[in-house]
Amino acid sequence: MTQVDTDANDRLLLQRMSAGDRAALTVMYRAYHGRLTRFLARLTRRADIIEEVINDCFWIVWQKAASFQGESRVSTWIMGIAYRCGLKSLRQHGSEPVDEDSVPEDRIPSHDPGDDRELRDWLGRGMERLSADQRVVVELVYGIGHSLDDVAAIMQCPVGTVKARLFHARVKLRNVLPGLAGETATSKEKLP
Amino acid sequence: MTRPTPAGRDCARAWEAMPWILQATASREQEAWLDSHLATCDDCRDEFEQQRKLARAVQLPPTVNLDPEQGLQRLFARLDVDDPQVQPEPRAASHGWLLRSLVAAVVLQAVGLGALGLKLWSTDTPAGPYRTLSDAAPAAPAGAIHVVPDKSMNMSAWNALLQAQHLRVVDGPNGVGAYTVVSEDAAVGAKQASDRLRSTAGIRFAEPVTGTP
Repeated sequence: MTQVDTDANDRLLLQRMSAGDRAALTVMYRAYHGRLTRFLARLTRRADIIEEVINDCFWIVWQKAASFQGESRVSTWIMGIAYRCGLKSLRQHGSEPVDEDSVPEDRIPSHDPGDDRELRDWLGRGMERLSADQRVVVELVYGIGHSLDDVAAIMQCPVGTVKARLFHARVKLRNVLPGLAGETATSKEKLP
Repeated sequence: MTRPTPAGRDCARAWEAMPWILQATASREQEAWLDSHLATCDDCRDEFEQQRKLARAVQLPPTVNLDPEQGLQRLFARLDVDDPQVQPEPRAASHGWLLRSLVAAVVLQAVGLGALGLKLWSTDTPAGPYRTLSDAAPAAPAGAIHVVPDKSMNMSAWNALLQAQHLRVVDGPNGVGAYTVVSEDAAVGAKQASDRLRSTAGIRFAEPVTGTP
């Protein structure tokens, strides 16, 4: 399904939700659960908080379904709500850095082969050096595939700010992560 | 060791294009341009491989496993208790109380305004013009004379003099003890009245008012 088809489908679901159709809410909840879990896992590693934020997000989506004006894609709108709910929750619970090394064994997917585990560790070492906003930008661009405009709408900031966060995140990752040849980067971050 | 940031305009352009090429949202021209640049730039080639690795790592399944069905049940349970789409019924009692209070306030204001209007309407003598300290002093009436009686002159002698010369005090005494008087006899001019005053015993100064100096 193309992005346009998906958005048209999401709009129909929102329309049904605005009339109190819980079946439409169920469809949308299941469709977004995976990407919201991964997105929010960049903000906190606590599963209970992630579930709470997802439900806060859908409680608002359910409430505001009728007032959605369609200035952006539905997915951008929902991610923006999740982002703000996530930040609010972090303020309440205290922010915790992402620490992939500390994830218990039983929380690592069982299908995680050795290569994936190595890649996950590699990413974890880099992500823990980034700010929460930088991690969110990396997830939205590389993980979910949002455009700069989408990310700016989600984070409610100018496109230039998103560009700067992405740039600094990349420079930091490049400096802290071992390169392909296994070299240990030691160079300092500097602006162009 | 590769450079930490892109060097040169082409490398900066290549850096900017990489995420969108990896997303497959860049144009074919952009893709072709990046391919040609990577063929000649080792740094950007390394960076692109690093970016590819980053995208692959970010897209791995989340380490947090949540059951969407459990979350959904919790959401429904929450909506059963607190459904934001269901507006609470308006409370007639509190609205009635508010309405009655507003009506009472309006009636009270109307009565007050009516009483004030009636009072203003029934006033016979209009109030004098409102003056502030910064306003200019009112002009003396035509034919006015400034008079300074001697300190030894008592009140009855002063009154007798005014009566004898048909004069009336319109202002004063001011800070230096000067009165402003006018002649009640239309046939007597200010100069004539002031000359007569000057020739009267007990008058230290008498001069017609000539206006603002």
